[in-house]
Amino acid sequence: MSVIQLRDVVKRYNTEAETIEALKNVDFHANRGEMVVVTGPSGSGKSTMLNMIGLLDTPTTGEIFLDGRNITDFDEDERTEERRSQLGFVFQDFHLLPMLTAEENVELPSMWDTDVDRRERAVDLLERVGLGDRLTHTPDELSGGQQQRVAIARSLINEPDILLADEPTGNLDQDTGKTVLDEITRLKQEENIAVVSITHDEQLVEYADRVVRIVDGVVQ
Amino acid sequence: MAWRNLGRNRTRTALAVLGIVVGVIAIASLGMAGVALEQQATSSLGGLTDQAIISPGEDVDTDGITDAQAETIRDILPGVTVIPQKTNFTELSARNGEEANVQVTGLTNSAPLYDLSVGAEPTRLETGALISESTAQTLGLEIGDPIEYEGQLFRIRGFIASQSGFGSDGGGELVLPLSALNDQDDYNSVTIIAEDGDAATEAATTIEEHFNEDDDEVLSVTTYASVQENIRSFTDTLELALLGIGSISLFVASVAILNVMLMSTIERRGEIGVLRAVGVRRDEVLRMILTEAAFLGVVGGLVGAGGSLVVGVVMFNVLAGDPALALAWSSSRYLLYGFIFALVASILSGIYPAWKAANESPVDALRGS
Repeated sequence: MSVIQLRDVVKRYNTEAETIEALKNVDFHANRGEMVVVTGPSGSGKSTMLNMIGLLDTPTTGEIFLDGRNITDFDEDERTEERRSQLGFVFQDFHLLPMLTAEENVELPSMWDTDVDRRERAVDLLERVGLGDRLTHTPDELSGGQQQRVAIARSLINEPDILLADEPTGNLDQDTGKTVLDEITRLKQEENIAVVSITHDEQLVEYADRVVRIVDGVVQ
Repeated sequence: MAWRNLGRNRTRTALAVLGIVVGVIAIASLGMAGVALEQQATSSLGGLTDQAIISPGEDVDTDGITDAQAETIRDILPGVTVIPQKTNFTELSARNGEEANVQVTGLTNSAPLYDLSVGAEPTRLETGALISESTAQTLGLEIGDPIEYEGQLFRIRGFIASQSGFGSDGGGELVLPLSALNDQDDYNSVTIIAEDGDAATEAATTIEEHFNEDDDEVLSVTTYASVQENIRSFTDTLELALLGIGSISLFVASVAILNVMLMSTIERRGEIGVLRAVGVRRDEVLRMILTEAAFLGVVGGLVGAGGSLVVGVVMFNVLAGDPALALAWSSSRYLLYGFIFALVASILSGIYPAWKAANESPVDALRGS
């Protein structure tokens, strides 16, 4: 069973001038242990689809299933809860909080869970991405690649089922990008999670188990 | 988290806190000032509240209090000291060429009304004169020197001590035996001295009821107790006005906090978007930002209360001569009000920015950063 599934999803935006269909009857799924790479030209709807999968946005019509559960009609607070426990995010701009250390950044998604202490897991994850000696560094003391690896560790803190990556290598040079992709692949297998990534980077396609191409809101 | 967020732009945070501090000091100090002023006024009056002054009323033909009326007053107020007086003004000149304007008071029972700095207090003033210390100094007079009034000579028996506060006239006073002002038939005023403030007020009421029937004011009675009442109501109004001013100041500080919080949350759009994306709930974001605002209020409130206490102690020392009074509940409660006001104002100012930040869609926030 797929851990995430989009069924016949349509996303329509109404602007003053016209109505835009960003996603047109899109079907998508991802399974544990596989990396799905979504490619397509700018404005093709990649980001919109990622937002759907990431429960950051809701479809106009269609259905979304998370681990077999129909979560299409979940309200904002319910979706927030799912994001917290089931999803992890990695962004192109890393988006670490500047005044927190690496360790604190990794713990961030669990910081509001008063009954759980994720410190051990945070340290473990940072060690697994090779930053065990940088626990107390703040983002301005880390290189781009290191920051992205902290972000990856953060995305896994709550033991999610899915890791969503929006242009994860976009701000990194070739070699650093390769390192990051190696990390993601290894963790994908260790944690048995699904990885969905949108990208323009050719490198990523080589790491993909499956490639989905989207043009003008339609999956090819 | 809230603490560290505030630390990111220390200058901005410090300035916002400063605004609150000023606001709190304004409210608390002005509140305490009102209390201090009242304290000063009532303590100056303190020794005189047991007195009342009776003078001719508005609706009477004669311009004095007659002998008969004075007798009646004595009759209806047993246990109260009744001192009828005749008064006039004159200019005294001395051998040294100096001149002084004095109020001349003729009475018999001088002891209850005048404290002498030099000389023995006479039980009945039948001969001799009492003169203000300051006037005596101006005219170069000493005990035993003669004073001339209306062709008569009086020997100085004592100097009247200078008093500050209410109850003393600024100029000099010459006290002579009643017989010296025999050209006047009636008394200008009658001073009565009762046991205490309440007794004085009671005596005043007795006199008014006896003499002033049918809205005709035959005798007018002024008690220092009533003066004290007037002062109290004045200072109450003054206090309200001062608090109003202080509140405006704190309101301005609130606007500053609103501005700081708003700027801070707008700058952090991206971060807040990330928090929301990774699963931090809207109410958790709201609380985080409200906590930041509350911190500003707490810190500003505490520093402000501390500053106000210092101001209060100084004020009470200067105005009422007793700095410890600043700590009494009637005045120190303004420290508490100021602090609470600061805290509430800060939290209220934080509500809009917090709400705005919490309810922005994560997608927009992330894209816009």
